[in-house]
Amino acid sequence: MGKIVVRDVSKTFASGGRQDTTVQALDKVNLEIGDQEIVCLVGPSGCGKSTLLNMLAGFEAPTTGDIRVGDVEVRDAGPDRIVVFQTPALFPWMTVRDNIAFGPRKRGVPERRCVEDAVRYMHAMELDDFGGHYPYQLSGGMRQRVQIASALVNRPDVLLMDEPFVALDFQTRLGMQELLLQIWDEFHPTILFITHDVEEAVFLADRLYVMTRRPGRIKEEIAVPFAKPRTFGIVTTPSFVAIKERVLHLIREELAPAGRRGSIPGRIPS
Amino acid sequence: MAVVTRPLRRSWISHDLVVSTVTVVTIITAWTVVTTVFRVSPLILPSPRAMGDELGTLLAVGYAGKPLYVHVVASILRSLTGLLAGIALAIPIGLAMGYHRTVSAALVPVFGFFRPIPPIAFIPLMILWFGIGELSKILLIFAASFNYTVLNSAAGMRAVPEQLIRKGRNLGLTRRQLFTSVMLPAAMPHIFTGVKTSTAVSWAIVVAAELIAAQEGLGFIIQDAGTFFRITDVFFGILIIGLIGISLELVISLIERRTLHWQGK
Repeated sequence: MGKIVVRDVSKTFASGGRQDTTVQALDKVNLEIGDQEIVCLVGPSGCGKSTLLNMLAGFEAPTTGDIRVGDVEVRDAGPDRIVVFQTPALFPWMTVRDNIAFGPRKRGVPERRCVEDAVRYMHAMELDDFGGHYPYQLSGGMRQRVQIASALVNRPDVLLMDEPFVALDFQTRLGMQELLLQIWDEFHPTILFITHDVEEAVFLADRLYVMTRRPGRIKEEIAVPFAKPRTFGIVTTPSFVAIKERVLHLIREELAPAGRRGSIPGRIPS
Repeated sequence: MAVVTRPLRRSWISHDLVVSTVTVVTIITAWTVVTTVFRVSPLILPSPRAMGDELGTLLAVGYAGKPLYVHVVASILRSLTGLLAGIALAIPIGLAMGYHRTVSAALVPVFGFFRPIPPIAFIPLMILWFGIGELSKILLIFAASFNYTVLNSAAGMRAVPEQLIRKGRNLGLTRRQLFTSVMLPAAMPHIFTGVKTSTAVSWAIVVAAELIAAQEGLGFIIQDAGTFFRITDVFFGILIIGLIGISLELVISLIERRTLHWQGK
């Protein structure tokens, strides 16, 4: 159901201003994500990770190549591929409860179930007392938890998560990572998870892909052979650290060469 | 958490209220002092006391053979008719302009052209085309209210955050659901700003409209009293227009705070 196949996908943007200049964001990306697999995508800023996610979601179309989810070509957005955005995408005129119940409600799920599910996921995200609050009354971290609940409540085949925990404080973030694995255990969605945080990526992923700098290509694929359910104890084990080092090394290779990098000028000789 | 802002805001309101009251009292005091100390002729500036006396007369015998409330109601009805017709037409057209680029491109030159022209500039044409009856007055108010709400509604539609539209599509909303459940509520603050401006403008225009040969209304009182040198009544006309204007604004702000509180302002 949730198998994802990305074949030879390139994406070129017209870069505003003059029409003849274009920016190539992705260059012949190939990847596969198995049904119920958790795959993390890491790579330097601006390497096109989010662009790839937007195309999987159906928000944008690839310039060339094709994307299939569950053997169906992606043509439009839909609730089988739920996105968790990097910044909290909430409807400000709805309470927390209504935000979470919104998707199922609009798709005609019986009202009683919508409410029950909203309560359940509010509880999972530790938002029990905030059902009647509006987004503007919440902190940034709480808003993001509402958004995650509003995504999970749809129980999608595929979860597309674009650096979902980046705005959370460190402790909440650790809690959310474990929680995500618990939720995976509950209904086994296929998860594509974008992050800058290498430890987070290795902790969550069954497999991860490292991308090159722009135009983004898949640089390397790395398997993460830890059994689930995982607990945070594994992050200090030698095999975990070894994978983390490997990934960090690959990312460092993608930094601009020393000569082209900005540097702090030395003291001007007097 | 943000619950803390409640008592804070409440104390601000009472603080504001005190300061505003001080201003009003100061103005009336200064007015009294100026008119009595310098013995200003009531034909230039009537004293608050003279105004008080005149209020008694106005309430007892009315103005130009009609009770005072008839004039007030006449103005409010004209203003409200033009306003409601104006925004009822402006909101759907504005939303369509914000939703469809083609509609916008087709209509922008028309509305863009009329917007900077003061509505009273059309008074002679209105009289020429629609006579000096109610129609020309209401049409003038209608046109003015329409103009402000239509542009704000279009802007509101265009300002709907792309992320919310994506979220709606992602959740599987139909085009219709996306419009009614996402874009329309998201555009409400802009629409409301338009309605607010239109309301203020429609009230301002009613006076101008009543300068066109009206037989009742607050604009008529000012015009008529000016002609016959009843300066106290001119001041009264102005005073009542101002007070009703402020009340309108208060009512609208109250509705806004009730319905659009989620903006968190």
